[in-house]
Amino acid sequence: MKCFSRGMLVGAALLPLVMAFAPSRAIAQGGQPVKIGVVLSLSGPAAVFGLPERNAIMAIEKEIAAAGGVKGRKLELVFFDDKTNPTEAARGVTQLINDEKVVAIIGPGTGGTILAAGPIAERLKVPLLGPAGTVAVTAKTNSFAPWVFRVAINDMVGVQTLLQSAVKKGAKRIGIIYQEDAYGKFGAEYAQKLSAEHGFTVAETVSAAYTATDLTSQATRLRNANVDAVFIQMSISSLGAAFLKAANDVGLKVPFFANSGLAQKSFIDAAGSLGEGVHVLSIGNLPYDPTPAEQKLVALLRKNGNEPQGWGEIIGGNGLMTVVAALKAIDGPVTGEKMRDTIEGLCGFETYSMGKPCFSKDNHDGWGADALVVTTIRGGQFRSAP
Amino acid sequence: MIEYVIRGLINGAVYGILALPMSLLFATAGTVDFAIGAYALIAAAVATSVAGTLGLVAGVLSALLASAVMAGIFALLKRSGEEGIRVALASFGLSVAIASIVLLIWGTQPFVRPTFSRMLEIGGLRINPQGLINVAISVGLVALTYYLLRATSLGRMMRAAAANPVGAELAAIPVLGVQCGTILAGGLLGGLAGLLILHSAGLDFTASLSLTFIGFAAAIIFGIQTPLRSLFGGLAMGVVEALSAGFTSGMVTSMIPSAFMLVVLMTGLLGSNRFAGDRP
Repeated sequence: MKCFSRGMLVGAALLPLVMAFAPSRAIAQGGQPVKIGVVLSLSGPAAVFGLPERNAIMAIEKEIAAAGGVKGRKLELVFFDDKTNPTEAARGVTQLINDEKVVAIIGPGTGGTILAAGPIAERLKVPLLGPAGTVAVTAKTNSFAPWVFRVAINDMVGVQTLLQSAVKKGAKRIGIIYQEDAYGKFGAEYAQKLSAEHGFTVAETVSAAYTATDLTSQATRLRNANVDAVFIQMSISSLGAAFLKAANDVGLKVPFFANSGLAQKSFIDAAGSLGEGVHVLSIGNLPYDPTPAEQKLVALLRKNGNEPQGWGEIIGGNGLMTVVAALKAIDGPVTGEKMRDTIEGLCGFETYSMGKPCFSKDNHDGWGADALVVTTIRGGQFRSAP
Repeated sequence: MIEYVIRGLINGAVYGILALPMSLLFATAGTVDFAIGAYALIAAAVATSVAGTLGLVAGVLSALLASAVMAGIFALLKRSGEEGIRVALASFGLSVAIASIVLLIWGTQPFVRPTFSRMLEIGGLRINPQGLINVAISVGLVALTYYLLRATSLGRMMRAAAANPVGAELAAIPVLGVQCGTILAGGLLGGLAGLLILHSAGLDFTASLSLTFIGFAAAIIFGIQTPLRSLFGGLAMGVVEALSAGFTSGMVTSMIPSAFMLVVLMTGLLGSNRFAGDRP
């Protein structure tokens, strides 16, 4: 009895203390930070895109943390460099899900690495948000299709938008030059497929190896085929610049339409004055003509000491904003499966990108043609066409 | 058709410059320097960072420096008794190292510095004047090499070192010196080739090995023993490349030059000593 009353006394004495701690403990439990994996190509050939993607994700994350998280939940990002390598990407995704218990992964960085990580995401039941245009990434025939979402723009939509713009500017006989890889070959073949539907003919198709230094033969062939516009499906800026130079050498003077692979500052630098007037497809226009939403992202990036590079930041931001939108819609504990189900129902949420994102059960490509803009190089800058 | 041939010849001239030091070194030291393309790369990279003519000088000097490293490696390996394949492998390593250094300092940016914006019109054919300069320099360098080999005491020393190293050593010819000098000449020529490419088609950090391979191909196609043939090898590779780009499509385009080389080597006639005749 004595003992009991002493216990009561101690208890009573401690009560205010316990009360004082109670609220903070409640937050710590209910607000266990939600872990999100970020697997991007921070080194290797795709680092050109991976680094800006990461910069945007980090800048936006800081902003979210400053605002107290999403619905009281704190976000914790876990980064992994896939080195533009499918094996590394698969390892990273496995590691982040098994060891770090992430509930969603932004990445991996390229089409090839996403496809390699897809089966793992399916097995471990965590959705991937892929920042790549490669068509196969969201193909319905993939067994892991339910688990992979795209936060970039499908390459099919890109090629179509660019060629529509070419036709609108009067192109009828289009020549194609592509780099010899999956990206290049896809563009050339898909353009051929689109030709009948969009009222142009493919007058000539030529290709170049990565290592080619001189493209005058290819340019000569396009010139001899009397093309009235050239569609450039390349992502290596030196190759693109070499083609412009060769075209100038052989006197091929027609409008050029380059796919988004060349929407890089290094392409402008390498092409110099020959780049003027070239039309380049881009996802938004962050560095030169940002829309109001994009301006907010530019401000965030600058706050972190990063200058906007191109569309990498936009699709990186798309990835994180998709996660944020999903978290806003989820009540109670967050799991990978819940994230997947919720993302599939997201439509019209807030992002820093152009266009209205919309996912559904049948469509895992969140962004469409309205997120794209055909820019023209003027004064050494990509300017959004008036 | 003729247009493609002419463009091929213009490109091939630069390949010839890359091939020249390969066959020189093979003749004097019996090994191959796979870092030639890397000398070209470092020369182009350095030349873009230094303005004006000084850039060209700095570019060639950096290539010379890189080849001096190679010469040092060669001398060390030779002291340990074996050269040949080990030197070739070491040069591979040096090539990768140089490409990494370029990537580290200059990043992935392409190197290109166009000299002429106006093209020459010759009989309805538009040609970049730089191409003609490339051909002139290439032919001049080959002629100079030929003269050096045939008519100077240095050339005699080189030929002696090639024909009979032991005998040459006994005759007080500094064989090792001659061989290292040949590697330095490779740096000089590779650097010059790099500058010509910088001013015509341009290159980036990935170019070193592909330049080495095209130079190697040009060097062996008509027989690696004789430096003069490397020019013709280069021209032939250029023409084949241009024709295949002009008349075939898809992945076949980049396959044909290699296939051409394979066929020539397999028939073996052009490379045989019967036709090579003259020793360097």
